[in-house]
Amino acid sequence: MKIDRRSFLALGLGAAAGTALTPLPWKLTDDISIWTQNWRWLPVPGDGDVTMEIGACTLCPGGCGISVRKVGDRIVKIEGLPGHPVNDGGVCALGISGTQLLYGGSRIKSPMKRSGERGQNKWSPISWDDAIAEVTAQIKTLVEAGKQESLACITGSGSGTTPLLFKRLLAVLGSPNFMTTSSMADSYSAVIRKMHRLSGAVDAGFDFENTGFVLSFGSGIVEGWGSPLRMIRTANDLKTKKVSMVQVEQRLSNTAAFTQALVAVKPGMEADLALGMAAVIVAENLHNASAVGGSSSGFAEFAAMLKQQFSPDAVSAKTGLKSTAIAELARKFADPANRSLAICGRGQGSAPGSMREFMAVHALNALVGRVNTQGGVYAVQAPDYIDWAKDSSMTAAITGKIRIDEAGVGAFAHTDSLLNRLPAKILAKGDSPVGLLLVSEANPVYTLAGTKQVMEAFKKIPYIVSFSATMDETTALADIILPNHSYLERYQDIPVRAGLVKPLINLAKPVAAPQYDTQNVGDVVIKIAKALETPVADAFPWENYEDCLAKTLGDKWEPMKEKGFWTDEAFVPGAGATAFAFPAQLPDEPALAGDEKTMALVLLPKESMRLWGGAVADLPFVLKTVPDTDLKGNQVVVEVNPKTGASLGLADGKEALLTTASGSATVTVTFFEGIMEGVVAIPKGLGHTGSEKYIADKGVNTGDLIAPFEDPVSGLDAAFGTRASLKRA
Amino acid sequence: MSTSNHEAIGLAPDGNPKKSEGSSNGVIVLFFIVGFAVSMAFGWLVFPKLLYSEKNQPFDFNHKTHMDLVDNGCESCHVFREDGTYAGTPTLAQCSDCHQDVQGESKDEEIFVNEYVANNKEVPWLIYSRQPDCVFFSHAAHVKMAEMECKDCHGDIGESESLKVYRENRITGYSQDIWGENIAGIRKNTWDGMKMTDCGKCHEEKMGSKGPCFQCHK
Amino acid sequence: MEKETEHKPGKKYGMVIDLDKCTGCGSCMAACMAENNVPCKDDESNKLTSITWIRVYRLTNKKPFPETEICYLPKPCMHCGGVGDQGHSPCVSVCPATATDYDHGTGIVSQIYTRCFGCRYCMAACPYHARFFNWWDPIWPADLKKSLSPNVSPRMRGVVEKCSFCFHRYQLAMEKAYVEGRRDLEEVEYQTACTQACPSGAITFGDLNNPDHAVATMKDDPNAFRLLERLQTNPKVYYISSREWVRRAGDNYLKNEPTNSKPRVTAHHG
Repeated sequence: MKIDRRSFLALGLGAAAGTALTPLPWKLTDDISIWTQNWRWLPVPGDGDVTMEIGACTLCPGGCGISVRKVGDRIVKIEGLPGHPVNDGGVCALGISGTQLLYGGSRIKSPMKRSGERGQNKWSPISWDDAIAEVTAQIKTLVEAGKQESLACITGSGSGTTPLLFKRLLAVLGSPNFMTTSSMADSYSAVIRKMHRLSGAVDAGFDFENTGFVLSFGSGIVEGWGSPLRMIRTANDLKTKKVSMVQVEQRLSNTAAFTQALVAVKPGMEADLALGMAAVIVAENLHNASAVGGSSSGFAEFAAMLKQQFSPDAVSAKTGLKSTAIAELARKFADPANRSLAICGRGQGSAPGSMREFMAVHALNALVGRVNTQGGVYAVQAPDYIDWAKDSSMTAAITGKIRIDEAGVGAFAHTDSLLNRLPAKILAKGDSPVGLLLVSEANPVYTLAGTKQVMEAFKKIPYIVSFSATMDETTALADIILPNHSYLERYQDIPVRAGLVKPLINLAKPVAAPQYDTQNVGDVVIKIAKALETPVADAFPWENYEDCLAKTLGDKWEPMKEKGFWTDEAFVPGAGATAFAFPAQLPDEPALAGDEKTMALVLLPKESMRLWGGAVADLPFVLKTVPDTDLKGNQVVVEVNPKTGASLGLADGKEALLTTASGSATVTVTFFEGIMEGVVAIPKGLGHTGSEKYIADKGVNTGDLIAPFEDPVSGLDAAFGTRASLKRA
Repeated sequence: MSTSNHEAIGLAPDGNPKKSEGSSNGVIVLFFIVGFAVSMAFGWLVFPKLLYSEKNQPFDFNHKTHMDLVDNGCESCHVFREDGTYAGTPTLAQCSDCHQDVQGESKDEEIFVNEYVANNKEVPWLIYSRQPDCVFFSHAAHVKMAEMECKDCHGDIGESESLKVYRENRITGYSQDIWGENIAGIRKNTWDGMKMTDCGKCHEEKMGSKGPCFQCHK
Repeated sequence: MEKETEHKPGKKYGMVIDLDKCTGCGSCMAACMAENNVPCKDDESNKLTSITWIRVYRLTNKKPFPETEICYLPKPCMHCGGVGDQGHSPCVSVCPATATDYDHGTGIVSQIYTRCFGCRYCMAACPYHARFFNWWDPIWPADLKKSLSPNVSPRMRGVVEKCSFCFHRYQLAMEKAYVEGRRDLEEVEYQTACTQACPSGAITFGDLNNPDHAVATMKDDPNAFRLLERLQTNPKVYYISSREWVRRAGDNYLKNEPTNSKPRVTAHHG
């Protein structure tokens, strides 16, 4: 018997024939196809009971109610809360992305202490007990050295129990330096206090729902102005009702596109247009007689100033509009049948504005009787439900003390807080006037204009405590972090100050169990206060934050837990705000930084609902909605008119160097017909730093390029843009 | 499957012209038969054993005992949620309604109470009918609307006294019950397999078509 | 199936988007991503590889400032029915894997990720750029996996995906109906995530064949149009705009050709 090659061939053939007659090849093919269709590294989302829970969004000041869809104990989706007075079921891109904040990589997972140099982002985790003990010891040292006034605090909002617990802690310790992030709402408060001779917590409320003609001086009605969801919903209702909306702006923003009526005024000349219109109204005797007489004052002087300084020709020259067009707009605005409403506050209103503009616009409303009337603008007293904020023990220790930012007294009597003045005060010669800074729900290092100076100032503060839930630019400079729960894991009352006419308080609720070793900042403040012992501890008689909230809200607490918000339907706005003082003179418009000869262009920030420029960095879903005409790769895209671009030798889609008095940046240029010649628009909300790759080091922070401008009347930052040059790279 | 071994041998090479120089026909046939037989044995007997790994459930469960105690059949424990979705295996909370403490003398119940109820830990049951993530199966459509019996797809598991061994396909990661116990894919009962072809067959019979893709996929 | 549809006309889900109402805010895009487990990459600025089942486009009338006008146009999958709604959609008719099919019961064009082998023929065939290819495996960093919905299966690298009109919401609504002994859905029971999220109420969704649903009457608005209607793709997404230049932007017109607000070829079957 001889075995050769052919024998093995036969063996192989036999094996092949045999195998073909077994299920093996067919079964393997099937299994392998199933295997390739279900790669094991692909997550399989777990199933479970589906529940919907009510909460509140805190990512912007807009005050939306949210409905959170849970599968088991996981939050899988955030939707708008049907029936909520602000958003009634609608929701914005940022709000939807809240799950990406809750579960995202920017969360701080436990208390941490700085272990490297400031800003090096090196941290070592510590226990909550140690963290609280350390902060308490630092405060004690300061107080014992008699430097309690150098204790300062920055919070995102000045109302609600959480910020007021901070304010109380500072006050009891003897420091008046409780500061808040400023926005358009602060400019409006200042205007209302000044022109209606009011004081206290008073906001502007806009009765859009009943208005017949909206004239917006650069306000991004559908781009997030005030309360974004309320504004988008209302703007649509108005459009359906064929209510005319006119947008005064330098480019075709989403709002201008939506209203289909753009009045292209020269940059910074919004106030002059308003005053020019007022001049026409007075000259043609179209003003409301009872609004300028009675309890109002200063009309004669105001009229004289208008006549003298705002002649049609002068206004036409300044604004670049035809005097006939201005007169026509003025007549339309003054027509009582139109129930007009003029608003201001640029873009999303996340930044304050110039008092010249706010006063001019408010006076324009007043002139035609549109203040404190249906469909007009109201002076609205903020909801006053926190009794313990008013007790005298809280104010006694700080009576007569001057704040570091000098807000609330003298020249700046109408403003509560002037955070924008802080960096210069810190950087002045000598020790930093702030010895210990507490930061909660604010990110001033990112949101304040003049980033470079702000960074330097913060680095000079000896000790910074951050209570942020996420790693942001300010927290990166902290010495110790006591991380807050995210807004989906904690209780918090949120009084909404966003141009609403009726008071509204939202309640954020723990809809998810805490994901990490974090604590509600309210609890932490109470713990710190208790650790400081008498007399500080006595001012905090609550067991914990929930106890404080329940006792503060009283009989509102249970219904709010169930419904998610509280509102006073019977509220009548405008009470106590009958007097109106017309200004005899107005401050100048903010000067644009930079040399006009070398920087012939005007750089303006542009905002949209697809990019939020506030304290919270945009989340991945939001970044995905950003068009490539705003961001391309890691580079910000700036918009210029094709004519401007051509005259500068720029090419569409190509790189250029953008320079301002504050700094420069390499940008990509996009040509867009819908922007005024000589203007460059740069998206606001980019230029974040940190380790989150989807957002970090993309584009530039507009605060790097636009220097702050201190308003002479309010003291707030009034810069709306800057001079700039754009050169081919 | 009409080809018999006999016919297969008949296919062997025949009439080799160079008999004297190479191996004899007999050797070639022998080798062929060996190759054939070994691969047949491997494919039918060894391969199915290799393909599946055997896993034990965390502890045994007696469906029959429980069925005798409840009055709503399978749905007493395998419930529909209020929104119409089907909850699948009962949660710990459902079981601990009765099993807060050890009730009987079963060792398995002891494991359940001591390891899971006491520690508030869900039981990691191995699900025989677990489908890939791309599958959407509406129990409501079948049980409520078409009024099918649970056993039409799941067999007599409700009458079983103990859980069978979970045999996991090493390649796909799913239970053997999806393909069916018969390696050749032959079905005797409607519950012998849970592949798409099984769904399709029934749908074609009852509905006249397999239906659109999205009917059962997500 | 054909037999069934003959004696009982199926549903035909569709959308009417009022472009006069759209503010371009992008809520629909984000709502869709969250609802459908659409993953995010570190850089999403390359819109050729960025997956957004519904994307808001910016149209301009190309006139110089200040006569320029913008219109925002949200664009999901059109769920084309083809001539006479026979299901001859551009993508369905070319798919070699039967990974996408036309459901005559709902009019929805499906996409079965596990069936798709990534040839991208459908992407080439789709005149609306409604289909997206997964060039990479999806990544959910940190704990983001916890936010995934079990109703939509995550997609793997190498397959095509697209808007499904949130079909899983239809499946879930039907389950609830079955348990309650019903086979029909109310209009509110099945709504897409984008419709629900839109703050402007610009998107209306429903059964185009059901006269009780808002879309059935809205689609006949004199200002209603569909994209590239003359290709006879028979899309189920209608747009409304009061501006003629917008309606003209919906198709390729010769300079002096009048704007057709109605399709040139109407159904000649079924």
